[in-house]
Amino acid sequence: MQINPVIDLQHASFSYAGTTTPALRDITLTVLQGQICAVIGRAGAGKSTLCALVAGFIPHFFQGAISGSATVDSQNVFVRPISELVRHVALVGGNASGQLSGACDTVFEEVGFALQNLGVPRAEMIERIEWSLNALQITHLRDRSPYALSGGQQQRLVIAAALALRPPVLALDEPTAQLDPLAIEELSDLLRELAKNGTTMLIAEHRLEWVAALADSVSVIDAGQIVAEGPPREILTDPRLETLRIGRPRSVTMAQRAKDAGRWPADLALPITLEQLVDGIRGHSGSSTEAIHSPAARPLQTSNASNPILQIENIAYTYPSGVQALRGASLVVGRGERVALLGRNGAGKSTLVRHLNGLLRPSSGRVLVAGQDTSTTSVGRCARTVGIVFQDIRNQLFASTVRDELRFGPRNLGKSKSEIDTLVDRALAALDLTDAADSHPYDLAPARRRLVAIAAVLAMDTDVLVLDEPTAGLDNASIALLAQLVYDLSSRGKSAIVVSHDLDFCFETLDRIVLVRDGELTLDSPANMLDEAELAILHETIGLPFGLRAAQALALDASDPLNSVLLASAPEIAT
Amino acid sequence: MLSIYTIGTSSLHRLHPLTKLTGALLLILATYLTNWPLVPVLVFAILLIIARIAGVAQRLTGTVLRLILPVTFSLFLIQGILFPPIGATPLPLGPITLTYEGLLFAYLIAARLLVLSTTILLVLFTTHPSDLVFALTERGLPRSVGYILLVSLQIVPDMTARATAILDVQRSRGLATDGALGRVRAIIPLIGPLVVGALVDVEERAMAIESRAYTASGPKTSLRVLADSIAQHRARTVMLLGIAALIIWRIATAIEIRIV
Repeated sequence: MQINPVIDLQHASFSYAGTTTPALRDITLTVLQGQICAVIGRAGAGKSTLCALVAGFIPHFFQGAISGSATVDSQNVFVRPISELVRHVALVGGNASGQLSGACDTVFEEVGFALQNLGVPRAEMIERIEWSLNALQITHLRDRSPYALSGGQQQRLVIAAALALRPPVLALDEPTAQLDPLAIEELSDLLRELAKNGTTMLIAEHRLEWVAALADSVSVIDAGQIVAEGPPREILTDPRLETLRIGRPRSVTMAQRAKDAGRWPADLALPITLEQLVDGIRGHSGSSTEAIHSPAARPLQTSNASNPILQIENIAYTYPSGVQALRGASLVVGRGERVALLGRNGAGKSTLVRHLNGLLRPSSGRVLVAGQDTSTTSVGRCARTVGIVFQDIRNQLFASTVRDELRFGPRNLGKSKSEIDTLVDRALAALDLTDAADSHPYDLAPARRRLVAIAAVLAMDTDVLVLDEPTAGLDNASIALLAQLVYDLSSRGKSAIVVSHDLDFCFETLDRIVLVRDGELTLDSPANMLDEAELAILHETIGLPFGLRAAQALALDASDPLNSVLLASAPEIAT
Repeated sequence: MLSIYTIGTSSLHRLHPLTKLTGALLLILATYLTNWPLVPVLVFAILLIIARIAGVAQRLTGTVLRLILPVTFSLFLIQGILFPPIGATPLPLGPITLTYEGLLFAYLIAARLLVLSTTILLVLFTTHPSDLVFALTERGLPRSVGYILLVSLQIVPDMTARATAILDVQRSRGLATDGALGRVRAIIPLIGPLVVGALVDVEERAMAIESRAYTASGPKTSLRVLADSIAQHRARTVMLLGIAALIIWRIATAIEIRIV
């Protein structure tokens, strides 16, 4: 191990061309060989900029004013060309499809693209590609086109392509954004293994639980400045994270509630991982007689079967290509219900969503939207009842201001001008976008742009709001806004259906869990009433949320009041 | 990746791309440099037999007909009826008058086009685009040109997929696309995201390939290995000699005609 830091930033500052406020200010950061440094902060705080700087994308691709110094693997990143820096540092960004070469038609070749450019001998190239594919568990996709993959698979592909370069330094910008929970766990095992073998890493990430279990050090960035840094347990339990609206790992919130209930030792430091939480509670024989009240228990909306808004009756769907995506799915959604649609990539979730407003019509069975059969109703008609926010927001935004973007939907539905104004203002307020109403959507940070996409559908004031991966790339403060939005809709008798890999969000915000597997709905249950068998199915298919994993590790009895501490439905994030 | 390449293992598929390209060039020159009306027919027949053996005959004829028929029709219309060559022999046919020279001229152009398109398509049907580009870059085609060729193959399916997705998204927002007015009003919400997406793609792509060492100095290697053989090498030499002979013959006859 060398003593000199592998990543060494000294007083580095950067302002994007055409802006006055610096994106990074006076950053001094060192990471030793084989260490994993996590960078946390709100969306737009400068995490991505920092990753781009370490990889030399700044100043080589993004123009602007730069000062200070940055040395990575003994290379001065400010002056060395990218084509040379790639031998020293690899950057993996959150948007996987934008990182593909565009010239390879198999996954195998895509991973080898950079190796060919660097002149790696063929035999070694093949060996490295095989290793990378295997490490990311995508060997079975080797002959598939990189473009025919799901978001999560593409994400793994670009990580594999970066690892094939055997970079001494790896900069990862939200590497988990599109991954499902099991893949996220696998990724942290892999990264730990790489670090043990000497790879130095800088990881920008919102998922604090994931960071807590992985990082050797954590730096907190706010408005372009590092405001705190240190060992994960010290930083991630710091109450200042709440004031910075970054939030804290779920273990911290849960332990605090347990402490209030006398189930966590008063003198023990707060836990940042599941293991620490479980050990702390297990080791403490506090009295459990005190009644524990869940801090913000929300009334469970029960399925209003007599007045359903959506009825899916045994539908099957086969794509023209012959792929059978749905095989006999039935689901009834009542008014005011909050439904989570879970499942691994390719399980049929997206196909099911496209049936909810008639974009796809079932090969057999039928879908009723507010009583109307979608096979005889136009999409435009269904859109009055069901609003869908799709995952790729680039396909949606076109207007020159946020406000115009929001007006588009309700205007299509033929609402009056005054009604549109009211709806738009309400949607802007709900997603904290009022100050950005006159901005161009593309001038906003990517996370806020996603909120614009959601607000634009929200403004249509439909009875059902469907959100496809709404939390991807959002920081915890924005996720809390989203949770609030779902509650508000529900209390007004409107239903929400959320397709997501973010199990914690789903279990804390939604009240009904539906699992899609191989084109069938294999599980459909209220979120707080899953039995052992159902939990086992969930566990093996997509994993379990943090609270349930803790409850399981503690082998809690169903009557134990601690359950309500671990499984409370409200995310507690200062907004 | 969209390309018209049809997966297969026939002997034509397995030939080195350069062998196929040389053969194609020879056949195309043979039809264009000779004036005998039967040559294109013969060459076309040979191509069909080869396509049959390679298992792409049906797709090939289908594609060729779709390409060629409209062109042929307009050729006969223009050359045969509307603009006959000066001093042509008239061939009255009911209310319209065709000319012998006009028809012959239209036939030759159409037949040559038929051979040209069939030959090129047959090569593309049976050669993986990456193999083709790799074979050419090995022989001196700039890598950047090769990259652009491969990327442009991907653009069409990419744009199609995105256009479909955009249509889904905006219809879900209540956009009506039926009726003349509806279509006009749909243009901006549909084209806007497509154009912005394409621009963002270009920027991202530039960063992506650079960060993946596309411009790194030093020798390059390749994952692809093209099978070649002494027999194919000899065949290419013979075909190149044939091409040279054809060109010399054509120049010689041209001079002869002028002298006479």
